[in-house]
Amino acid sequence: MNQQNILKGPAGLGLLVLSAIVLVVSFGYAFMNLSSQGHASFNTSSTLPWGQPIATYLYFALASSGLGMIASLPLVFGFKQFYPVVKRAIFLAFVILVSGMAVLAMELGHVFRMLWVIPFNMQIQSAMFWMGVFYVADLIFLLWKLQTLEKGEWDSKTSKQVGIGSFLAVLLASGNLALIFGMMSMRPFWFDGLLPIYFYLTAVASGLAALVFFIYLAHGFSRENMSSTLQRLLEGSLPKLFAAVLGGTLLFIAVRAITGLYTNNPEIYVVWRDYLFASSTYQASLWLGIVLPFVLMMMVNLRNNASTQVLVSILVFGGLFAERFFFVVGGQVVPLFKGTWEWNLIQYTPSATEWSLTIMGSALLFTLYVLGERMMNLSAEPPAIVASPAPGAGVTASA
Amino acid sequence: MAKWGMVIDLDKCTGCQACTTACAMENNTLPGESWQDVLYYHEGTYPSAQMKWLPRPCMQCENPSCVHVCPTRATYKDMDAGGIVFVDWDKCIGCKYCMIACPYGVRFYADEKPLLEPDLREIFPGADGQMWSPPYQNPDQDWKRGIGVQPPGVVSKCTFCYHKVSKAPAGAVDLDEDVPEMKEYVPACVRTCPPKARFFGDLDNPTSQVNQLIGDKHGVRLKDHTGNKPQVYYLGAGAGVPAFEPKPRS
Repeated sequence: MNQQNILKGPAGLGLLVLSAIVLVVSFGYAFMNLSSQGHASFNTSSTLPWGQPIATYLYFALASSGLGMIASLPLVFGFKQFYPVVKRAIFLAFVILVSGMAVLAMELGHVFRMLWVIPFNMQIQSAMFWMGVFYVADLIFLLWKLQTLEKGEWDSKTSKQVGIGSFLAVLLASGNLALIFGMMSMRPFWFDGLLPIYFYLTAVASGLAALVFFIYLAHGFSRENMSSTLQRLLEGSLPKLFAAVLGGTLLFIAVRAITGLYTNNPEIYVVWRDYLFASSTYQASLWLGIVLPFVLMMMVNLRNNASTQVLVSILVFGGLFAERFFFVVGGQVVPLFKGTWEWNLIQYTPSATEWSLTIMGSALLFTLYVLGERMMNLSAEPPAIVASPAPGAGVTASA
Repeated sequence: MAKWGMVIDLDKCTGCQACTTACAMENNTLPGESWQDVLYYHEGTYPSAQMKWLPRPCMQCENPSCVHVCPTRATYKDMDAGGIVFVDWDKCIGCKYCMIACPYGVRFYADEKPLLEPDLREIFPGADGQMWSPPYQNPDQDWKRGIGVQPPGVVSKCTFCYHKVSKAPAGAVDLDEDVPEMKEYVPACVRTCPPKARFFGDLDNPTSQVNQLIGDKHGVRLKDHTGNKPQVYYLGAGAGVPAFEPKPRS
């Protein structure tokens, strides 16, 4: 078995320094603009209050939830072939969620006030209150799970209980996040009781994209540097799961688009027709970011190929980020009750400050991730799995 | 305690925007932060095209979706203040979820790009935590109810001029600007309306002028299907919101 984690060496140090520099610069730029201009440095407005920072938070939070669900496959449901990615998935889920929360913190009007007014006022009617509760629980469970794995408890009673708790927290957090949008009947583009299912699917898709990309990054984009069990997973169950969730995502988008375009309600069909499908960016993100990866993952001779998997993960990053952006903005582009003051769809393009927050979140993710790779053994696997048969047998054969 | 409500007669309203101006002067709002506005709508096409207009304050809903979604209870409906919906600026975290949830678009996050240049916030920089300090500022201030000039990073909205209404004598039923002893307690938009298209009073009192008008002239609430149940009623022809129609594609 040949395991080489390039992030533990000089390449990792270089990436750490680079991402830390990008983090400091992007944070500094956003902080400077927010301090001098306030939220006037955003291109959001009272007619379209949620912009790219919210879409970025949504993307990160759901990618984290997706990674949490992937980690539950072996820890809760007994799919032991996923053990080789569990520790990395849990750590990634943690740092992606922290990065998303950092972006959200910069978007809010009074972030520090939030720390006391939410717990002291207990507004249990608000889905956003529960978002705070469930994501904090999610963070705690992720840390706890990571700690049990660090201690080498892969299959203990405690690790199972924490795993189940974590899985429930992830389901509640991402499902509730969907309902923040899905319960808004005054925003018909979002109003959808099945939105949690759509969020679960896309969460796993974005989680898989992150997992695959960071696995390859850690191993210098070479399978030879990976353990045999990890290689086996990347040639078997994982690409199939990736294909399945991308297929599910496409199905959901198709169903939403068909019902949206069919309805007479202009607050839905106009959004699909004149905002989403009229946008070349949306079209590109849909066809290149979701359809093409799905096709690639469905081709037996391509889906096990390392280059294809890296390409697909990068394409899905972009595709699902755009999906989140168009989802968040799409629910607001039809002006509510504005008459001829807003006689068209509301125009919105993110400002440089908003972009800097997206970059800041990404840089924070890279920084924390590389730190984690250097300080911990994220490739750790339970001894019983490591001792299992060589690539080509076992999981691949049975999958 | 009264349940304060407003009635707006569209057959009398001329769309002059005096109410909008009076509100802005009374509450020191910024351009674009239109707690009270008159919205114009085009409906239909030639030869039956119509132009409609709707004066639009906060509806102070009986079942306000903005209150339900607020994670901090910063937005609340105060039954001891006539059922007016307030924003506590000391609790608001600026998440803007209430703006998403309000079907009437009557909430404002003034910490945004200025609607008009020059930016009044730069000409009259804010003091004492305010976003800006206009030279002639209403002395009434109550941040727990979102009255005054707001600090940055919070949401603002119409308060039915609670700083005036709250001073009305106990048991007052109709706050009518034509009654000399009441006129100081009438909301600015009602008091200033030249064609007297607005009425303000107690919706819980069967003898109130607002209840009589709603009953006699078939008062309706806008977007009633949302279930928010506004405390603002409209009278007359054209009391409805046309469906959104985008600009024709060239």
